[in-house]
Amino acid sequence: MTRRTALRTAAALPAALAMPAIADPALAPDRQAEALAERPLFGALAWTEANGLRVVLAESRRVPVAAQYLFYAAGGGEDPPGRSGLAHFLEHMMFKGSRNVPPGAFSLAVAREGGQDNAFTSRDVTAYHQHVEASRLPLVMRMEADRFAAPLIPEDQVEPERAVVLEERRQRTDSNPRARFVEAFDAALWGPQHWRGRPIIGWEEEIRAITREDMLAFFEQRYAPANAVLVVAGDVREAELRRLVEQFYAPVPARPHRARDRAPPPAAPLEPRLVREDPLVREALLLRSFAAPSLTWGDPDQAWALEVLAHLLGGGPGSRMHAALVETGLATTAACSYHGEVAGAATFALSATPRPGVAPDRLEAALDAVLERLLQEGPTAAELSRAVRQITAGAVLTLDSIGAVPRLIGSALAIGLPLELVEFWPRRLREVTLPQVTEAGRAVLGNGLHATGWLLPGPAAPQRGGPA
Amino acid sequence: MSGRGFTLPIQEVRAAGLTAWLVEDHAIPVVALSWSWRGGAALDPEGQEGTAGMAAALLTEGAGPLGAVAFADALRDAAIGLTFSAGRDSFDGGFRTLADALPEAVRLARLAMAEPRLDEDAVERVRARAMAAARRTLETPRGQAGRAFWAHAFPAHPAGRQSGGTEESLAGVTIPALRAALDRQIHREGLLIGAAGAITPARLAEAMEALFAPLPPGAPPALPPLPPFRPFGQEVIGLASPQSAVVFGQDGLPVRDPEWEAAQVALRVLAGGGFTSRLMQAVRERRGLAYGIGAGLSVLFGHAVIAGSVATENARVAETLAVLREEWALMAANGPSEAELADAVAFLTGSMPLQFSDSRRIADTLVAMRQNGRPLDWLEGRAARLAALTRGRVAAVSARLLRPETLSAVVAGQPVGL
Repeated sequence: MTRRTALRTAAALPAALAMPAIADPALAPDRQAEALAERPLFGALAWTEANGLRVVLAESRRVPVAAQYLFYAAGGGEDPPGRSGLAHFLEHMMFKGSRNVPPGAFSLAVAREGGQDNAFTSRDVTAYHQHVEASRLPLVMRMEADRFAAPLIPEDQVEPERAVVLEERRQRTDSNPRARFVEAFDAALWGPQHWRGRPIIGWEEEIRAITREDMLAFFEQRYAPANAVLVVAGDVREAELRRLVEQFYAPVPARPHRARDRAPPPAAPLEPRLVREDPLVREALLLRSFAAPSLTWGDPDQAWALEVLAHLLGGGPGSRMHAALVETGLATTAACSYHGEVAGAATFALSATPRPGVAPDRLEAALDAVLERLLQEGPTAAELSRAVRQITAGAVLTLDSIGAVPRLIGSALAIGLPLELVEFWPRRLREVTLPQVTEAGRAVLGNGLHATGWLLPGPAAPQRGGPA
Repeated sequence: MSGRGFTLPIQEVRAAGLTAWLVEDHAIPVVALSWSWRGGAALDPEGQEGTAGMAAALLTEGAGPLGAVAFADALRDAAIGLTFSAGRDSFDGGFRTLADALPEAVRLARLAMAEPRLDEDAVERVRARAMAAARRTLETPRGQAGRAFWAHAFPAHPAGRQSGGTEESLAGVTIPALRAALDRQIHREGLLIGAAGAITPARLAEAMEALFAPLPPGAPPALPPLPPFRPFGQEVIGLASPQSAVVFGQDGLPVRDPEWEAAQVALRVLAGGGFTSRLMQAVRERRGLAYGIGAGLSVLFGHAVIAGSVATENARVAETLAVLREEWALMAANGPSEAELADAVAFLTGSMPLQFSDSRRIADTLVAMRQNGRPLDWLEGRAARLAALTRGRVAAVSARLLRPETLSAVVAGQPVGL
């Protein structure tokens, strides 16, 4: 599932701009989709403040709610060597107060207004967000700008919070055999110290090694105004937002920031084949991942083509993997996932779960056959048009969620993609041609960097994740 | 105060002998419809757990002239999200669609309910998926603890069973049993319907006629009443894991209890979401014992159970449980402070607009209100009812509701010192 389809299906709250009747019922569905492609999906406005902060407004008057999302163009991928987990640990410490907001007061104030506040760290970004009743936007902007200027990161809070982060790691990864395996598989393909091969939450030893000084340095270098994108969505007017940004964010002085510097993929995988047995596992899992171009690395045309390829290869019922593996009774599930909207190299990932009684080798051979045939013959025109149609059909549904719009816009801008790309992505996807899909498949699924992994039920003691 | 002026105009729409609640909003061209019957996993015969869940999944695996792939393509070509699922005590359907595709969504949903194919290969695929999910649940401490909690609390009632079934029960589900489950479940009467988005009452009435008028008359059978929650103390499931998962809880109160909202306030203060609850402060913020802890009212068979969870390093499980019991007892003894009451009321009032902003969620919420027997003006009066709550009333409901001696917990992992 692509990032955009994930957003569409995960729609949560409303942030839609009040659009004119967007679809003309007189048009056939295909024509409607084309008509939609000719106008921006979100009608967002963007500008840059004097200190370098980029600001985007995606206005929607549908409900009296506003969402503030502050994205920093730095995530787990920017953790320094030996300090995996730093971006994420800093995200936790940003909730421990700032110059004018005592520790804990931010969340309490938002809760008192009936709002929601949280944050997330991905490989590419760290983002802080609040959803509030629209008249409460100034309050959350004032508080967010205060930690944008000067978080406390109090010394005496570092150790208790480290314990919380270690519990988070145990909960998400160490007590889940599947998560442990996926973590080890990424490290096997990319290397445990490559930015793509390290866990975002960090290796346990490295979480223990992170210091307050590491956090202050990361904040100084990566949280500069020119490395941030503020996205506000909901029932907010441009003039009001400009005034609030001037009041709260503009006073933070510009400072130099460290740009992203992502290493290319390694020449060869650390372990091309990783087989793990785990006594807690009751259901086997096959993974195969390939290093792939993204919209920011390599040929962006290939990135669009790969999104189409992922859908027709493993995007659910009707896809080649589903037909060859699931419908034939070899696998319980079979899927393909590709996210082109990332900083640096992307991953084109295949996964399948064998049905009980199906030998792993048999499933893997069937998967090999699917790939071989696809690379030799290429997809059909019918597969291409169906994939494009299904990926783009629900583009407008993003508007049914207040959080999806700023997430989509902020994550794209924070990796250097233009707003236009977010506004018109269905049109861009429709331009993908059959030769492009065939070529992208051969380039990526051929002999490039890849690894295969098997997680099997077994007697061996579970292995702890850690730098190899 | 935010949220105090919040209103949600709900219209009642009647068609096909049924009533739907509608929140009409044409701001974006999206329509969501949700419907629900009593039943679901509660109607599965003993030993055939998971039948209703498989039957629900099979409704979108081929219907009428369309095989599974053709049916999926028809949905995805038009970006229609159509789902059916079986809960512990309900069988639920619904879709979200672009307004233009509403006729297609209605056509496919109707086909799914009226003419499900239950093709043998689709049944085997769905069975394999359900069995894999049941096995995967047992791979993690959290999955094991959750399953055991309900089994211990309700040992002789469907509420204590795995609603999705077990590997053993799923293996024995036959096509006639699936047909029988759908025959028990899918009827015209007893349907609760919620709708939201770009649809007029007239269009909704047409959709209801098309979807529900053809269904067989009558209603699904009545459900067995929920027996009292059985306090079971503390159970440990040994599992090789560096962290233990704990699922804890006790009896709650009927959804029609006049002090329902006072109980919501008490639980918000003690164990509600976010960073502000007493448990989150005591367990995460002050002691760094866990990434998160929370509990809430889990409604089943018209009655709420208080259920929550936490996960912590094996060595610190005993300390975490001691803190949990201490906070539980403190709240039972003294209730909230005036400031905590004010904060909780402000949150519950102010958060209302945020809960009504995504069309499928609005439609689901309307159905949930009807399952709980709320009147049409329940939301309208909610802010005033919450504002009228006194510390004394919330303290009284805390004392009546929270019984530390009945607080029961399942611990899965390798806890030290339990």
